[in-house]
Amino acid sequence: MGFDYNSLLAFIIFGVTIGVVYGIVALGISLIYSGLDIVHFAHGEMYMFGAFFGLVLAHNVGVPYPIALIGAMVLTALLGMAVERVFYRRLTRAGGGYTVAGMGMIICGFGMSVALVNVAYFIWGAEAEPFRANLDYIPRLSFPGDIEVPESYVLTAIISVALMAALHYFLRHTKTGLAVRAVAHNKDIAYLMGINVPLMISLIFGLACGLAAAAGVLIGPMQSVQVEMGYLMLMKAFAAAVVGGFGSLPGAILGGIMVGVFENLGAAYISPSHKDIYAFLLLILVLMFKPSGLLGVEAKVKA
Amino acid sequence: MLQINDVHAGYGNLKILRGVNMQVPTGGIVTLLGGNGTGKSTLLKAVSGLIPLMEGEVLFDGVSISKMKPHERMRLGLVQVTQAKEAYPAMTVEENLVLGAYTRRDRAGILADLERVYEFFPVLRERRKQLSGTLSGGEVQMLVIGRGLMAKPKMLMLDEPSAALAPKVVLEIFANINRIAKTGVTILVVEQNVRMALILAQYGYIIRDGVIMIEGEAKKLISDPAVKESFLGGSVANTAKALRN
Repeated sequence: MGFDYNSLLAFIIFGVTIGVVYGIVALGISLIYSGLDIVHFAHGEMYMFGAFFGLVLAHNVGVPYPIALIGAMVLTALLGMAVERVFYRRLTRAGGGYTVAGMGMIICGFGMSVALVNVAYFIWGAEAEPFRANLDYIPRLSFPGDIEVPESYVLTAIISVALMAALHYFLRHTKTGLAVRAVAHNKDIAYLMGINVPLMISLIFGLACGLAAAAGVLIGPMQSVQVEMGYLMLMKAFAAAVVGGFGSLPGAILGGIMVGVFENLGAAYISPSHKDIYAFLLLILVLMFKPSGLLGVEAKVKA
Repeated sequence: MLQINDVHAGYGNLKILRGVNMQVPTGGIVTLLGGNGTGKSTLLKAVSGLIPLMEGEVLFDGVSISKMKPHERMRLGLVQVTQAKEAYPAMTVEENLVLGAYTRRDRAGILADLERVYEFFPVLRERRKQLSGTLSGGEVQMLVIGRGLMAKPKMLMLDEPSAALAPKVVLEIFANINRIAKTGVTILVVEQNVRMALILAQYGYIIRDGVIMIEGEAKKLISDPAVKESFLGGSVANTAKALRN
């Protein structure tokens, strides 16, 4: 029997779709890193909360899926901003700003991750819940060779690309986006330009958490929504961010797609039970040959 | 326009400024001179609000700004031009300039000022789509001054505009600072280049070890042996003495 190119193509298509979701979570991690110089370890929990917010909106409140998506993004953005204001910012008040507060910030991020998981247990319990979304109005995509791509994957690809495009437009072509980039590069100078730096930091955090929430709501209908889901996503998104070059926004997307494709191919051709290992295998390979990541430069690339 | 009363400031427990008193009158050019580590940059940061005051007070247009955040002080028209190395290298020249006008909402005014900056510094117009990281030292200095002008300042504070530049470029930059002052912008220029700064300014202060040692009209300071002594001669004499011991 010859090599089945159709199934290879299918694995790649599914890999890319799941990969862009890793990409948008990684985008948030990179955004926070380049903007605030902190590695946000509670980002997986933002993704999880986003998924639950979407679930509650779609099932309990009964709004249509797209509204649930937007609602979850807004709620999670607010949650992220509140967490940053109440917890992380206190660490920077001690002086030195985000860069100097580094280690405390990492520990605070870990603590926040544990705390948020437990809050979620308390509210939603430990059981995995299926996310039923009515997506009948989205067409299934058919590729030559009997490859059918389900609605939720089509939707995921469309929305992820739209979010990336919107973020790109915001950062490159709006005045506030310019201010965000200025804050990312140097907070003192941004202050001297008259930019309200604390407000921009809130905005960066809100954006990043909103992106994570979108990923959660998009993944929801494919898998199920569960309190522990954030941990693995954080790891994969980190792998994606590092593969692409930490702090680089295009790199985050590229890294996400590579991780998605790599793990799908690994699961298909090596062993499906070790699916979650392949992302890290890719990470190790990239770190061996190009430690700054694929699109990273020696110094970190700023948004 | 700017009044600095008995300002003490520093970093953490390290006090650098120990009671600085200065005035910058409206419409004038005042220079603050001092060597490395004398407190010049610390004073600028204290005035623009990047570091808090430990004691004392800063008044701008008669209003105390000591408790204001940096972006609030900037909105009053007190604009600090950062050192040249602090342009945003990953942004284009024009993006840097537009960022300078971040607080303004008058589109037409911003465009007119952009044009004005390009008239002051034609080289910036040529390079406006270029990343500012690719500019020469002199061009970046022009860029940060231009960026300061975009904020429509009442007063510009310049942090060592001559640093690390060739004499010919320094002359061009200082000539432009003079032209900017003629348009009615009050200027405080912090410098190590004593001669150039005293030729440009009407009044000078000399800071050492966090206090003002000498002040006076620039014309008089330029020929004052005490200035040479405190600024250059002093340190040279001390070094020579130290060498001989």
